[in-house]
Amino acid sequence: MSKNASARRRDPARGMMAASMLFFFVGFLLLAVKDGQWQCFLLSLIVPLIIYAGTAILPRLFPADKLLLSLTNFLCALGVLILYRISPSRGLNQAVNYGVGVGCMVLCTLLVRYVKSWKTLTVLMMGGSMLLLSLPLLIGTEQNGAKNWIWIGSYSLQPSEIVKLALLLCVSYLLSQRKAALSILFGGACLVLLMLQKDLGTALLYYGLCLVMLYAATGSLALVGAGLAGGAGAAAAGYHMFAHVKARLAVWQDPWKYTQGIGLQIVRSFVAIANGGLWGVGLGLGNAGNSTRAGGIPEAHNDFIFPVILHEFGLIFGVIVLLMYLFIVIRAVMIARRSNTAFHALLSVGGAALITIQTFVIIAGNIKLIPLTGVTLPFISYGGTSMVSSLCVIGFLQGVASRNQAGVDEDRALAMQGGDVP
Amino acid sequence: MAEGAYELLALAMRYVFVLIGALMLWRAFRWMRRDARQYQRDMRTLPDAGLVGEMVDLQTGRAQPLPREGTIGSSRECDIRIKGTGVLRNHALFAFEEGKGLRVTPQRGAQVLLSGTPVKGYAHALHGTQLQLGDAVLRVRLFAGLDVPFAAAYQMEAPDIPLENFYSYEDGADAAPSLPFPAPGFEDGAAADFPPAEEPLPGYEGNYTDDGQMTWQYAYSLEELRRAQAEMSAQEEEEGALPYESPVPRRRRRRKHE
Repeated sequence: MSKNASARRRDPARGMMAASMLFFFVGFLLLAVKDGQWQCFLLSLIVPLIIYAGTAILPRLFPADKLLLSLTNFLCALGVLILYRISPSRGLNQAVNYGVGVGCMVLCTLLVRYVKSWKTLTVLMMGGSMLLLSLPLLIGTEQNGAKNWIWIGSYSLQPSEIVKLALLLCVSYLLSQRKAALSILFGGACLVLLMLQKDLGTALLYYGLCLVMLYAATGSLALVGAGLAGGAGAAAAGYHMFAHVKARLAVWQDPWKYTQGIGLQIVRSFVAIANGGLWGVGLGLGNAGNSTRAGGIPEAHNDFIFPVILHEFGLIFGVIVLLMYLFIVIRAVMIARRSNTAFHALLSVGGAALITIQTFVIIAGNIKLIPLTGVTLPFISYGGTSMVSSLCVIGFLQGVASRNQAGVDEDRALAMQGGDVP
Repeated sequence: MAEGAYELLALAMRYVFVLIGALMLWRAFRWMRRDARQYQRDMRTLPDAGLVGEMVDLQTGRAQPLPREGTIGSSRECDIRIKGTGVLRNHALFAFEEGKGLRVTPQRGAQVLLSGTPVKGYAHALHGTQLQLGDAVLRVRLFAGLDVPFAAAYQMEAPDIPLENFYSYEDGADAAPSLPFPAPGFEDGAAADFPPAEEPLPGYEGNYTDDGQMTWQYAYSLEELRRAQAEMSAQEEEEGALPYESPVPRRRRRRKHE
């Protein structure tokens, strides 16, 4: 056996990719057998092919972190599968979003890999972010109590999802240049605009991200303490200012009081999780995803997709999904630790924080650990903007990983040339 | 498909899905562990990873490793920490830029002199450039092999040699001016303060002289030297040939001798 063939055989990415492709081939085939729809048969081939392209072909174009790619692709494809199960049209849309997201991920990877000066871009992004966050206040539409969507023709867009990426890049750059005051000012301005939109879930995400990055950059507990105190004050003010916050807090305290009203979603989510048990009811056999049927969760495709996964695949599989998120976050922290520059380290830490906070906020909200706020589950929930922004974060991480690898190669070359001062 | 049959199939597949998920998780865990070990091994062989040189404090003689980017100042958080009058807690930022050198950006209210010239905005330091922050003076030393302009040598200050040390035969002088001998510091005939001898590297013990200095043979391990010596002796005994491998192929050489 040639050396290359042996190395390929030992490559752990191949095993993970094969397992992932098998999972989705079987999953979509099962749904296709049930409904007999040709689109589902097609998806049973297309989704494994996207996984193959994303995990095996992309790393040939530039040095990428294959583990991160494998885990991310699995979660994205799981989203497509479960959304197709809930609503075939949404599943097909999500498959398109997944493909677009992979393209955006490649762009973000190249951006971080090759852009050397971020100063001008940061100034542009800061201005653009303010403009984008102001748009929903001027021309936006209100959904679930928050005015955070805008419509461009027949397409809807959530600007806060795009600004999330700009915030991550800008705060990373400003903190790496020791401009903490300016980064706090920018983060604060974004938070004020989100509060005006009543988009408290995203505000919580932005706030957590800024706080984590501030601590990572300065190591100052006093600054973090001040941030926490400010956050507590803002939460208290939000409680008194917004009626839907009061309602969500009341539901969080006792959802069983509101089983036919504002607590319906969370109560049905509990029932669905309990019915699923350890092994689930079986793919295609549950009723949690269909809001028109008894026991169906109204926002199953969006905020409550995790209870649907627990219902159909079971608690053990749910824990496996959570561990996959954990592995992605650990990998991001490893990438941050290996970075050569403060900007790239902060970018990776911010990416890890973003995925962690977003996953925690929505899953903890689903299981009544904290009051429910409307954020999407990264990679899985329905929505083009959400899918693209989550994959862009992975793109940033890939870019940093690629730079780290280039740095190690350069250090190795320097060591070969003497690596000492002349 | 009949509803009953599908139900049976879906119920059976639950275990397959969990199994595949668990398998992926296990492989990911092993992958991460293996990658972490590999990275540690790589870093052990590259002790200067992430560094581009060193900064030498010309007053204390202390050299500090120079990362690709960071801060200079008196604060404990700084990557290059120096003490001195007029040195701020965060005095300047630095970042290595390929093809340009070490970009030095003084922070607000701080002044940095680059080989005697005050820095406005930012400036690039090269190998040998002298940085002055407050009353602290640092010398930038960059690794060989980095992509840096070679102008550094011209920027280095020439040693200040007194005019009287120059002489010319045309001026009628027939000998060099008398200079103190032995040179200052060598009056008692002792050697100057050489750096302490290094501990012999494992496997290279034979490459050190009795007084602990490394010999020219440092490129070979003790085992390699012994093996080479044994081979040379055997070759000498066998045919009395030259103790080195001739560039002329042996077969042709023999024919020539015949």
